[in-house]
Amino acid sequence: MRQKLGFALSIMLVGCIILGTRYYEIDLPLWHFLRGGKELDPTSLHLAGEFVESNLGTAENPDGSFTVRMIAQQYVFVPQCVLVPAGVPIRFRMTSADVPHSINVSGTNDFLKVMPGTVSEATFAFATPGEFDVPCNEFCGAGHFAMRAHLKVVPQSQLADLRGDERRSCDSP
Amino acid sequence: MTRPEPRSDPSVQNSAKQKKPRWLAAVAVLCFTLPIMLRGESPDSTGPSLPSVHIPSDVAWTPATIQQASSGDAFRGLLIARRCEHCHGAEGFSAEPLIPNLAGMDRLSVWKQLEDFRSGKRPSRMMQPIASELSERNSADVAAYFSMLPTSPDPQDNRAFPQPMSDPAKARLAEKLIVFGDGHRGIPPCQACHGPVGYLKGAPPLAPQNGDYLLTQLKHFSDGSRANDINVVMRSIARQLTDEEKTAVSEYYGAGRGPAAGTPHPAGVPTPQ
Repeated sequence: MRQKLGFALSIMLVGCIILGTRYYEIDLPLWHFLRGGKELDPTSLHLAGEFVESNLGTAENPDGSFTVRMIAQQYVFVPQCVLVPAGVPIRFRMTSADVPHSINVSGTNDFLKVMPGTVSEATFAFATPGEFDVPCNEFCGAGHFAMRAHLKVVPQSQLADLRGDERRSCDSP
Repeated sequence: MTRPEPRSDPSVQNSAKQKKPRWLAAVAVLCFTLPIMLRGESPDSTGPSLPSVHIPSDVAWTPATIQQASSGDAFRGLLIARRCEHCHGAEGFSAEPLIPNLAGMDRLSVWKQLEDFRSGKRPSRMMQPIASELSERNSADVAAYFSMLPTSPDPQDNRAFPQPMSDPAKARLAEKLIVFGDGHRGIPPCQACHGPVGYLKGAPPLAPQNGDYLLTQLKHFSDGSRANDINVVMRSIARQLTDEEKTAVSEYYGAGRGPAAGTPHPAGVPTPQ
């Protein structure tokens, strides 16, 4: 009886793993594709569209929420240092200009896989101000080990003067 | 192609013939509209309001562009490049330290820079009129010619590479940045993109480049007066480098001690994405 139970449990476990892999590797990309994510041409992000360089960085939406747009490419993140407010959920929208990358906010479970041709989205929230390393977590080439962004979480008052058409990162005044 | 007209019993024949196309049409319509319907509910794409757009360069490395930039004829390029040799040297090694060496330069980088000079994305009083005289094909030919010139040692200006560096501490600093970069500040190693470990499209090999030229360009990248790098790659990196590091790296490459010195590199071979 116990053998049968164990057998059933292990079969269920393997089944869950197969289903989960299928969901993340087939269903989610297909879903992205059907939603028009494939429209981005990774080689000409700088010419037009959402990821032109003056649109990168932290932006405030009309409803007061924040969106961060970033490009991951061999072997830098742009913007290299991201400035976000503490205590509110922040929407990250990222794409890659060449090969698959990913970000992982060190010390947290916040993880986002970045693929060329699609926009990857995730919502992260940081409770308290602080600084985080954001290394690339997907082997992307010879410079992968030095590919790292920074995330600076500041009190929300510091971003209170952000205008609607303004994009902010640590470098901007 | 003669199709027998259904004269005998039109009603039966018609219904059988029409049924299939109608069904196919419905599927086709669904196939086309379903992605659009699904896309309709996707969230905002460009954000609330777009700030003024700065386009760094009109060049995008699409397969067609790569094909065009790397299909030059080196013999035609040799004839066209006669007018370059006054400043850039007869064999692609310039005697003036602020003018870049072009020997062994990658085809795609030469083509892109000429294109950016022409469109004014990389401002230069000297190069803009010259580049606007060249057609796109001529640019590709010139690029093909310079990519074939040998890089070292050079009999033209009596320099032999590599030269010794005065300060060994500087050399060590440069070596560290070229080989390892600095991950904590997000500086990737130079050799991952500029060779010989990896070549990215549009990233020129730096091995026998003039040190003073490199230093000027790094400074221009960091203060934003040169902004024709696609997706802010070099501007982000140069902003992170200190003045000391900029000097060290450019002197190291300028002395011909860069890791690619003396080795030929696969110039302008189009790599499939």
